[in-house]
Amino acid sequence: MSCFITGYGSALPQRVVTNAELAPMLGVTPDWIEANSGIRERRWVEADQAASDLAVAAVRDALSDAGTRAEEVDYLIACTLSPDYQVPGIAPIVQRKLEGCRYVPAIDLRAGCAAILYGLQLARGLIESRAASTVVCFGAEAQSKGLDLHSRSADLSMLFGDGAGAVVLSSEEKLTDKAREYLVRVDDILIETDGSFAEDLIVRAPGTANGARWLDAEQLAAGWHHGSMQGRTVILQAVRKLADAALRIAERNGISLDEIDVVIPHQANANLLRSMAKQLSISEERVVTNVDRFGNTSCASAFLALWQAHLERRFRVGSYAQFLAFGAGFTWGASLCTVRESTNRRAL
Amino acid sequence: MLTEGVMAFLDQAAKEARAELPDRNSSLFLSGVLDSFTLIDFVTLLESECNIKIDDADLRPENFDTIAKVEGFIRRTRGAE
Repeated sequence: MSCFITGYGSALPQRVVTNAELAPMLGVTPDWIEANSGIRERRWVEADQAASDLAVAAVRDALSDAGTRAEEVDYLIACTLSPDYQVPGIAPIVQRKLEGCRYVPAIDLRAGCAAILYGLQLARGLIESRAASTVVCFGAEAQSKGLDLHSRSADLSMLFGDGAGAVVLSSEEKLTDKAREYLVRVDDILIETDGSFAEDLIVRAPGTANGARWLDAEQLAAGWHHGSMQGRTVILQAVRKLADAALRIAERNGISLDEIDVVIPHQANANLLRSMAKQLSISEERVVTNVDRFGNTSCASAFLALWQAHLERRFRVGSYAQFLAFGAGFTWGASLCTVRESTNRRAL
Repeated sequence: MLTEGVMAFLDQAAKEARAELPDRNSSLFLSGVLDSFTLIDFVTLLESECNIKIDDADLRPENFDTIAKVEGFIRRTRGAE
């Protein structure tokens, strides 16, 4: 039993925040933001929009693309760092908002920006073990609501955008009659963790490691509810670990990186993606990027890049695709997929 | 002492950053010679030029902050190997 990606979806807030708008809030220039991140603009939610609103829109989009009804979904897997509430996660809220969705398992994964790989690994395991036939996996973020819009946090707050992406994953038996050119089969996933860097990319509060209360006035004053990052450490570790994961997953599947047509990474920072491509000696044209337009959308970013790759027809039958992600924890990894001809090309 | 190749890298990085190469105990980061991305190339170069394998656990910017710290780091890494 194999696991195929059968539908791709996205949802982006309407509000575009350019560097020109953001830079004065952070005490930097628009050019500084672009030079240090490759980001020109990002999307931010409105006050009345939550991560689940974006998530459910992306899920509906993916289900429509797959030709799958909400009633057919067996499992919902959410990836987010900016949930609607501390508890519960957003997966149950998406289950509620998704008309027709049954009382299926719905969980949130807290695995930083690498959560997509955990989601795909779980989905693949469920499908291959026949515990589920159709799984929806999505990433959604409304991180703009938690940004420290101050010069002290310019290097972090310049990065983040809001958005959501989703994929539908199905077993062969559940492939619908919808005509498609290709199917992306999830063949292998490699995920690793190094908790010794847990505090290098962190939102400390609310948290039970913070003393008597998980959030108090002192912690708020110290800005512990905002993200903080040891930027040089994150970039150094990310580039090394992503390159290593990309090489090892290719190697253990007996292929070379030259055989991989399209690389779909977490959109952390354009400069980081460029460094990673350089480390791997792959051309930048093979790397899907949208960080210039959407910023770093954390858990949603690789889903959005995946949707974009589908939209731009980057998948070629007979080739390989690779997803790469790195995030807080640190967690990181790679997946390897094969692009196969669809059994149903009737309406093409 | 750092090798000619490593020093040539730092000289070039300083030139590109329009910065002065600092003395051996001053920060390569604060002087603008190294940033997050040149650091990646610098570490890769150190491994090949000095014939060492840098463990991920040691990949912390503070180990590469000054020329003196880089020299000490290389000595320790060679000793550990």
